Amino acid sequence: MMAPAVSPRSKEVASLRPLPWRRMAWVTWRQHRAALIGLVVALAAIAAYTWTVGLQLHHAYAAQLACRPAGSDACLQLTSGFNSVGGFLTNGWILQLVPALIGAFVGAPVLARELETGTYRYAWTQGFGRWRWTLAKLAGLAVAVTAAAGAISVLFSWYYQPYFSAGNEARNLSELASLAPSLFDLRGVALAAWTLAAFSIGVLAGMLIRKVVPAIVATLFVYSGLAIATGSWLRAHYLAPLVTRSLNVPNAVWIVSQNWMTKAGQTVSQSVLYQVLQGAPAQVAGKDGGGPNLHALAAWQYLVEHGYTQVTSYQPASRFWAFQWIEAGWLFGLSVLLIVVTVWLVRRRAA
Amino acid sequence: MSLIEFRLDPASGVPTYLQLVHQVEHALRLGYIKPGDQLPKVRDVVASLAINPNTVSKAYRELETKGLIVGRPGQGTFILATLSQVALPELAGFRRSLRNWLAKVDAGGLDESGIAALVASELRDFYGRRDGSSTRVGSADEDVEGAA
Amino acid sequence: MNVIEASNLSKRYGSTHALRECTLAIPAGHVTALVGPNGAGKSTLLNLVVGLLAPSEGSLSVLGSCRPGSLAALDGIAFVAQDTPLYKNVSAADMLHLTRNLNRHFDWTYAEARLGELGIPLKRKAGKLSGGQQAQLALTLALARHPKLLVLDEPVAMLDPIARHDFMATVLVAAAEDGVSVVLSSHVLAELERSADYIILMSQGKVQVAGEVDDLLAGHRILSGPAADAAAYTELPVVHARQGEVQTHLLVRTSMDDRVPRGWESHPVGLEELVLAYLREPDASALPGPLRSSVIDASEARR
Repeated sequence: MMAPAVSPRSKEVASLRPLPWRRMAWVTWRQHRAALIGLVVALAAIAAYTWTVGLQLHHAYAAQLACRPAGSDACLQLTSGFNSVGGFLTNGWILQLVPALIGAFVGAPVLARELETGTYRYAWTQGFGRWRWTLAKLAGLAVAVTAAAGAISVLFSWYYQPYFSAGNEARNLSELASLAPSLFDLRGVALAAWTLAAFSIGVLAGMLIRKVVPAIVATLFVYSGLAIATGSWLRAHYLAPLVTRSLNVPNAVWIVSQNWMTKAGQTVSQSVLYQVLQGAPAQVAGKDGGGPNLHALAAWQYLVEHGYTQVTSYQPASRFWAFQWIEAGWLFGLSVLLIVVTVWLVRRRAA
Repeated sequence: MSLIEFRLDPASGVPTYLQLVHQVEHALRLGYIKPGDQLPKVRDVVASLAINPNTVSKAYRELETKGLIVGRPGQGTFILATLSQVALPELAGFRRSLRNWLAKVDAGGLDESGIAALVASELRDFYGRRDGSSTRVGSADEDVEGAA
Repeated sequence: MNVIEASNLSKRYGSTHALRECTLAIPAGHVTALVGPNGAGKSTLLNLVVGLLAPSEGSLSVLGSCRPGSLAALDGIAFVAQDTPLYKNVSAADMLHLTRNLNRHFDWTYAEARLGELGIPLKRKAGKLSGGQQAQLALTLALARHPKLLVLDEPVAMLDPIARHDFMATVLVAAAEDGVSVVLSSHVLAELERSADYIILMSQGKVQVAGEVDDLLAGHRILSGPAADAAAYTELPVVHARQGEVQTHLLVRTSMDDRVPRGWESHPVGLEELVLAYLREPDASALPGPLRSSVIDASEARR
């Protein structure tokens, strides 16, 4: 029939061993180098800025600490100087975008672009095999983004460190709650864990939605929802909050809830309290028509005498690392689950 | 560079492999190729015409059956013999018969294009039956003798 | 060895059948054309063969007894999908690197030499190549893997005539030199007659015709005769009849030695004419094996 088949290959055994995983290293790099380089450049820019402002911050802090005598005008100026450094970095919200954007722009396109442009018809018919291809890629990229996020979170931890010293309040220096939502997940291991989670969400979104831009949007939505839910509710309950009934709440704790209650334990609204204070002597109620100050000692004592207590539940700064490991733990578990589901879908579902 | 350059006429209705066979015979007849010359490799014919390798193999097999070529393993395909020539006196005799027949048919009322069509169809039928592919006309006893 | 063997293969999307109970066996060593109108199920069948889709019912095995999508199948089958997907921002050289990393066997020397012959610059991004060059690049990547089976889904649909010719020449030379079996789908019939030696005609998700082209053409003739006699013709199974007022042409299943009735002419049939006739008779089929009763039923229905 045809010319004799002088095939350069020897006879193959019916069952073949899979190709070595390391083959995917170059493949992953070549296909995603734009995203990875973009990631590094963006993080480098953020790092440079944070480093510059951070040096200012640390310098101002050290100067204030060294200043003698403590109450002099010069030292007060240093105090306000320290308090004003940082601008939008101080409350950390802007940096919350980092894991979200990494997840959306590195994670979502991995599978979505192959499916949208049709190149999966090339990639998934090569000898490597489609689910191994997916697993190798995702594992490699996951390690890369987690490491990058981990690296920059070291810088962030260094940046915010002056705000968490115990003696700040006494010196009128800004003191922030270590566990406050906007700052908690920038430091320790949380940023790396959130980045990994965002990446996994992005990857699964890409597989399910099959188009790049909608997958990016979906990733940002889901990630934001998860981050907000964690910050506003879940994280508060990792360990049972401590409760105090005193006026003076300890310094720089993260206040989870603060309510006035009756003796019976029912929550009381502010309007009720104001009404109660109507019956108080003039010096107890607020002056200047500005409304009563419930934290003023006199008003507070009046309310306590009439059977109301302020109950504050909070999480102390000492729990920082415990919370970090708990959060990193469940985020890691979630990420592994999402990646496994993605690989399973690739393996099983029709293209 | 091979001696023969094949070409295809896809609209002719003649099967591809036959076209190749005819082109080799035609080249032989015209003296473009002689015994001992090498025919193009199957692969090269396929590359230039974009046809199925089987088709080329079939053509070469046909030529080999006719005794015109021979394949030498490892070397290629070579022309073995020329087409048999018809001797001049015989050719004159054929020409005379044909002229007589033409006179008869013309007297019978067939015009030039009618004669051409008749001859063409019988030619196809005659060789087609041998090659197994062409048009055949039905008649009760399949009698195709007595053309000339 | 059969490069593709299907038994009652079906593929359903919800309630729509893309493939219905397909049974076929394509032997190795052929260039097989998979033809049929749009929506016939050609792409579905090819996607099933290369493992991009999973069957709903029935069985499918490739390269003898391998499961589609298994490592042995992926190793031995190279696929060039419709519109020849390539990574647009990756250079030709990098596409070679990618393919080399992703496969057990890759003939770098062949690939580089081939791209050189074709004049495709290695440094140029795949997206910047012309349509014909992209198709040749994708084909080179596939052939450099020295597969046992090359599967092409409408490979030349978007190419100009010269690019089309060069592409097919490359495929056929690989079949000639390397013994690669080829299965390619197309809805352009005219060019397939000279490149394919095995044909599968699909229509509405079913296999209508399957067999070697030579055998199919030898096994059918066109009988042309008076229209008045058409209805009375019962000798051979009639696949399709084209009736004029005075003249009729019947496509019949036959062999060379069958008698031609008085007053009729018997012509050989070309591949395109054969395929078109079967497409117009959805109930008729020509499958390997003894004459099917379905063909006789179709001619009986005509009386």
